[in-house]
Amino acid sequence: MPNRVPVKEGTFLETPEGGVLLANKCKSCGQVFFPKAVFCLTCLNEGMEEIQLSHRGTLYTYTIVRMPSMHFGPPYAIGYVTMPEGIKVFAPLIMSDDKPFKIGMDMELVIDKLWQENENEIIGYRFKPL
Amino acid sequence: MREVAIIGIGQSTFGKFPQRTATDLGREAVMAAIRDAGIKPSDIQVAYTARLYDCWVTGQCILSDVGIHGIEMINVENACAGGATAFRGVWKEIADGRYDIGIAIGVESMTTSPIAGKLISPTKEDLEGQLGLNMPAALAMVAQRQMEQFGTTIEDFAMVSVKNHHHGCLNPYAQYKKEFTVEKVLSAFMVCDPITLLMCCPATDGAAAAILCSSKTAKRFTTQPVRVIGSALLAGSYKYMVEDITVSPLGRATAAQAYEMAGLGPENIDVVELHDAFAPEEIVRYEDLGLCKIGEGTRLLREKATWVGGKIPVNPSGGLLALGHPLSASGVRNICEIVLHLRGQAGERQTSNARVGLAHMLGGVVAGLEAGACGIHILAR
Repeated sequence: MPNRVPVKEGTFLETPEGGVLLANKCKSCGQVFFPKAVFCLTCLNEGMEEIQLSHRGTLYTYTIVRMPSMHFGPPYAIGYVTMPEGIKVFAPLIMSDDKPFKIGMDMELVIDKLWQENENEIIGYRFKPL
Repeated sequence: MREVAIIGIGQSTFGKFPQRTATDLGREAVMAAIRDAGIKPSDIQVAYTARLYDCWVTGQCILSDVGIHGIEMINVENACAGGATAFRGVWKEIADGRYDIGIAIGVESMTTSPIAGKLISPTKEDLEGQLGLNMPAALAMVAQRQMEQFGTTIEDFAMVSVKNHHHGCLNPYAQYKKEFTVEKVLSAFMVCDPITLLMCCPATDGAAAAILCSSKTAKRFTTQPVRVIGSALLAGSYKYMVEDITVSPLGRATAAQAYEMAGLGPENIDVVELHDAFAPEEIVRYEDLGLCKIGEGTRLLREKATWVGGKIPVNPSGGLLALGHPLSASGVRNICEIVLHLRGQAGERQTSNARVGLAHMLGGVVAGLEAGACGIHILAR
């Protein structure tokens, strides 16, 4: 069995019902942070509570990159997804031929292997068109 | 605070010179600036040098070769805004009355840098970079929103490249002196939809230098001093605070500071040099700088207002797209271009009767921030 290693600790959770992104929210001003902030960067309040972001959001913007990155071969897609909690999440996107990307379309979270690093499977989040 | 003037400018040849060192390029620019100012190397009292990829104390390496030694020398790095930062450093020293004459140098040898032929790679802490974000992709995502919100088309983005390459043909120093059509730009390799290769700045080696002096002392050296009337440099705020990625809070805040100091507004600017690393960006910067209202940048471009000969020429040098982009050099180089226009020495690309000009630079990727730094200088004759 390969080691499953999260791309960044504490950014998501795998549950039997599917994955969720873990954010936190300032108890004072309500600002939401993903990835989590140590304290509120808006009002500097230290009281933060962990929240789970919704499973779905809408596509704010995207691009298809046609050159290799550190971990992805071309072509690969990335974008920002607007979450109901009021923040935009940057994430790799899953491309599908029958659902080309369109700004404003509904997107769904997928927790999956992103890339292989020696013995480790790096696990992270992506969004796919609904 | 004392008034400061620019009395000398110099630029090296721009291009790909893997056999030349950063020091060698810097020396060419410094010698040109000293000749232009008509001063002796020993007149220079302070030096700021910007570079990203070179050995330590690059400024000392350059200046010791041209007879400048034993003075205060400072080396800075502020990504693509490094040159603007070095310039501002010298401006502050003279404005504060600490020194009378100083030199700002920007230099970069991209072909001998560790990122030669590659994209700038993300740090381990940069989660977005690890997940595939890079500079052209970030601008491509802005471009997608411009198309959605303002009806900007891929042909408009191509037109920015066509314009700046046309301008490059008018500049003997440009790396690329070649005209392109919209069709040619669109048929180039697609890098990140909708940005094609011909909408991206090239890798460039080069250097630029500017000699600054208190306005009082400037009269000894020149009858044509160019005054520095506005200077602003800010770091970006948190990305989560940006509501609409087609509007740059950093660009707008930096411009507001520079205009306030200069005591004038965008309507008074005759010529602009700005950060056009990727073509769609130029349209956003028109709006950041207030050359038009938000959402009207595309109209400004389509009206040909920003071409040489237009109402407000932008990047008459050819910009980063055609003149080239040696990262830390560009912030000094684009100030030199504005000086040429204010002196009436810009040749075929001269802005007629230019009285006030603006030079803008932007750079640096920081996880969670809109950008690393934005530097704006407003110059007047």
